[in-house]
Amino acid sequence: MDYAIETVALTKVFSDWWGRAKVYAVDDLNLQIRPNEVFGLLGPNGSGKTTTIKMLLGLLHPTKGHSLILGGDGTHPKISARVGFLPEESYLYRFLNARETLDFYGRLFGLDSKTREMRTEALLEMVGLKAVASRPVGTYSKGMARRIGLAQALINDPDLLILDEPTTGLDPIGTRQIKDLIIKLAERGKTVLLCSHLLADVEDVCDRIAILYGGKVRAHGRVKDLLQRTNKRQILTDSLSDATAERIRELLRQEHAECEISSPMERLETFFINTVTEAQQHATPTSGAVSTTQIGEFLTVGARQGDILDELVAAPVSETAQTGPVQTDKPAPREAVTPEPDKDLLSKLTQPASSPTVEAVTPDRKPSGDVPETPLQPERVKKSVLDELTGRRQSDGSTVQPSEDRAEDGGHA
Amino acid sequence: MRRMWAVATNTIRQALRMKVAAIFIVLLLVLLPVLVCTASGDGTLKGRLQTFVSYGLSLTSLLLSLLTIIVSVYSITSDIEHRQIYTVVTKPIRRYELIVGKFLGVIVLDVALLTLFAGIIYGCAVLVPRFVRTSPEDRTQIDNEFYTARASLVPPQVDVSEEVKALYRKLEAEDQLEAAFPRSTPVEIRKQLTRRFQLEKRAADVGRVRIWEFRNVRPSDPNQQSLFVRFKYDVSVTPADEQVYGDWRIGDLRGLQNGTPVDTPVWRVSRRDPVRKFREIEVPASVVAKDGYLAVGFMNPTWNETVVLFPVEDGLEVLYKADSFLANFVRGALLILFRLVFLACLGMMAASFLSFPGAILFCLAVFVTGATSSGILESFGYMSKNVGIVYRYTIEAVIHLLPQFDQSNPTQFLVPARLISWTLIGRVALGMVCLKGAVVLILALVIFSFRELAKVVV
Repeated sequence: MDYAIETVALTKVFSDWWGRAKVYAVDDLNLQIRPNEVFGLLGPNGSGKTTTIKMLLGLLHPTKGHSLILGGDGTHPKISARVGFLPEESYLYRFLNARETLDFYGRLFGLDSKTREMRTEALLEMVGLKAVASRPVGTYSKGMARRIGLAQALINDPDLLILDEPTTGLDPIGTRQIKDLIIKLAERGKTVLLCSHLLADVEDVCDRIAILYGGKVRAHGRVKDLLQRTNKRQILTDSLSDATAERIRELLRQEHAECEISSPMERLETFFINTVTEAQQHATPTSGAVSTTQIGEFLTVGARQGDILDELVAAPVSETAQTGPVQTDKPAPREAVTPEPDKDLLSKLTQPASSPTVEAVTPDRKPSGDVPETPLQPERVKKSVLDELTGRRQSDGSTVQPSEDRAEDGGHA
Repeated sequence: MRRMWAVATNTIRQALRMKVAAIFIVLLLVLLPVLVCTASGDGTLKGRLQTFVSYGLSLTSLLLSLLTIIVSVYSITSDIEHRQIYTVVTKPIRRYELIVGKFLGVIVLDVALLTLFAGIIYGCAVLVPRFVRTSPEDRTQIDNEFYTARASLVPPQVDVSEEVKALYRKLEAEDQLEAAFPRSTPVEIRKQLTRRFQLEKRAADVGRVRIWEFRNVRPSDPNQQSLFVRFKYDVSVTPADEQVYGDWRIGDLRGLQNGTPVDTPVWRVSRRDPVRKFREIEVPASVVAKDGYLAVGFMNPTWNETVVLFPVEDGLEVLYKADSFLANFVRGALLILFRLVFLACLGMMAASFLSFPGAILFCLAVFVTGATSSGILESFGYMSKNVGIVYRYTIEAVIHLLPQFDQSNPTQFLVPARLISWTLIGRVALGMVCLKGAVVLILALVIFSFRELAKVVV
C-alpha cells in the first residue's frame, strides 16, 4: 500500500561535540500514515514529535533509516509542492504584512499572480485577518501569527498537511476553527499529520494516533479503540422525570449496577464561542483577528487545480452570513436525543466491544472516562460549520467514515 | 527562476525594511553633500575635484562593501536563527536556488545603490565648476587633467641581467663581494645590482641626453588634444634651491637622429622644476608620428651640476586622452561593483556555516586583508629574511588567494585621470568575479545544501 507518510527505522541521535551519542531524539520509528487520514502524533515535550517532522521535511538528516512522503523524498520540489507545513511556531518575516507574506509563499510555489491573489484573499478571509492584512506581521499577536502561519501552509492547496502544534496561542474560536478545517480537509481527501500535546485537539479530529515517548512509539491505533471504556455505558436522554429516573435506577439495581443521574454541563468551549459570537453580532470593535467560520473554498474543492479558479470566483461568502444562524443553537444542553432507544444501538450496547489494539504499554486512557458511545444523531454529516461550532458533533463510535468516527467529547453523563 | 526572483525581492525588502540599508543610504546622502562643500584639496579647482571624487568614491565603496557583507550575511543567518527557513526550504525550492536568489537580491540592491551614488558623485563633480568662480586657465587645466581619461605609457624596463651577471662575477673573482655588500645573500646582492643598473639606464649625466621611445601612441583626436609628459626628478646632489633645469625635446626624434625629414612638429621645452615632485609638460598630441611613434628626450644642462635621475617606478610617463571622463567613471563604478559581487559571494559562504557575528567577523577580516593586501605583502617582504619560507607558503599564499581590492581601486585611476582600460576591467572581472567569486559562491551552495537547517532541540 502506498502510504502518505512512511518512516522506516527512522532514528535521530544528537551527539555532543566529540561525536559521542547523547540523546536518542527519535529511536527506530516506523510510522505508516495512510492517505486521507488524520493522524495524530502525541507526546510530552521533547518526545521527538517535532524532530520527526523535521526529518520528514529534510530540515534534519536522520542518523539512520529513511522516510517517504507521498511516495517520495520530502525535499524534492515535486513532493514539497503538494505538502503544506506549519512549524511549531509561526516563523514569519516580520517586515512583511500578511498579504505580502502569503504572496511570497505563493511565489515560492510558482503560482501565477492571479491564483496567488485569489488564494491570498480567500485565506485572509478564512483566517479572519483581512482587516489587518496590511500591518507588518511582526506586530501580530501570537494567535494572529498562528493564523497567518496556517494560511501559509494552505496556499498551495496541499494534499498532505503537516501541522506542528497548530492550536498553540489560538483563542478557543481559532482552535475550534482549525479543528473544523482539519475535518473538512480530511473529508476532501487530504491527509493530515497533526502533532500536538493538547489531547483535546487530537481527540476531536484524529482518526488514528501514535503516542511517542523518548523517541519511541508507546501506543498507537484508532482513537476510539484506544479510548473506549468497555466496562462503562452512558445513556443520554431528554429531561427526565424523577420517577423515570428512579425506575431506571431500579432496573439497573436488578443488574447489580450503580448509576449516576445528573444534568450534563455545557462545554466551556461552546459557551465561550456563543458569547463571542453574540458580541460580534453587536459589532463590538476589536483590533485582533476577526473570527470567521468559513473555510477557503479552494481548499474544500475535491477536484484539482482547474476548478479552483472557478470556485474562487464564486466562493466568497460575506462575513455577515455566518453570524445569522448562531442563535438557533442555544447554549442549551444537547437535546437531539432519540426518545425511544434505537434498536440497533441497544443491540450493539449489549454486545461486548472489541478490545483496543495496543502496543507495548497500556494506552493512556482518559481518566475521567467521559467518552462513551452516545446515541447517533440523525442529520449530522452535512451540517454547517456553525453547527459544528456549537458542539453538536458527537461520537458514535460505530462507522468507519473518517468524517464520522472522529470522537468528540460527548458531554458528561 | 520565478522562485529565485521571489527570494531576491524578499531579500531586498528585508534589507530596506529592516533599516539595514536605510542607515547606509542616509549616511551617504548626508556625507556626500558635506564632502562637496568641504573638499578643498590643494586649493585649486582641480585639487578640489580630485579630493571630492576620491573621498566620495572611497566612502561609497567602503559603505557599500560593508552593506553588502551585512545584508548577505544577515539575510541567511537571520532566516536560520529566526527559523523562517523552515517554511521556505520546505516549499518546492531547491536550497541552491534559495542562495542564488538571495545573492541576486543583494546584487540588484548593490547595482541600484551604486548607480544612485555614483550618479550623485558624477553629477556633483561635473556641476561643481559651474558654482565656483573659475579662471579660463583653471578650466583648461581641469579639462585636460581631470575631466578626461588618459592612457599612460611607461618606458619599458631595460633588461640588465647580463650586466648584473658580469659585474657579480667580477666582484666575486676579486673577492670584493663581502666588502661591497656586507652581510648579504647572493640573491639580495643581485637585486641591488639590478636596481643600480636600471637606475643607470634612467639617469642623465651632466651635459648628457637621455631618450625614451614609445610606440603605439594612439590619442583619440591628435589635432585637438594635448599630450602630457609626467615626470619626477631625482638628483645625486641636491641643489641649494632644490630646482633642476631641463631641456626637453618631444616628438618624432628619428628625424633629428637620422637626418630624415619628418612631417610632425617637434617641441622643445626648457623649464625649471623642483626635485622629487610630479610635474607635467603639456604638448599638442599632433607631435605623435603617423605610425604611433613618439620620443621624449631630456638633456641635463651643464649648469645643473648634478646627475638627474628618473626613478624606476614612476619617474617618467606619457599621458594622452584616450576616452571621456564619463566612460572612465562608469568603468570605475564597475570596478567597485566587482568588489561588491565578490563580497556578496563571500558573505553567502560565511553565512552558510557561521552565525551572524562569526560570519561578519570572517568577512571583515577578508575584506580588510584584501583592501590592504599590497601593504601587508610589502611589510612582510621586509621580514622575509628571517621567516621567508614559513611566510611564503602561508600568509603570502593566502593573500594571493584573496582578491586584492586595493589594486583595483578606481580612485587611483580617476584622481590622476588615468584610463581604466577594458583590459583591466576584464582582468578584474575574470579574477575577482568569475574565478574567486564563483568558487566561493559554489562553496556556499554546497555547504548550504548539505547542512542541517534545524536546530538541535530535544
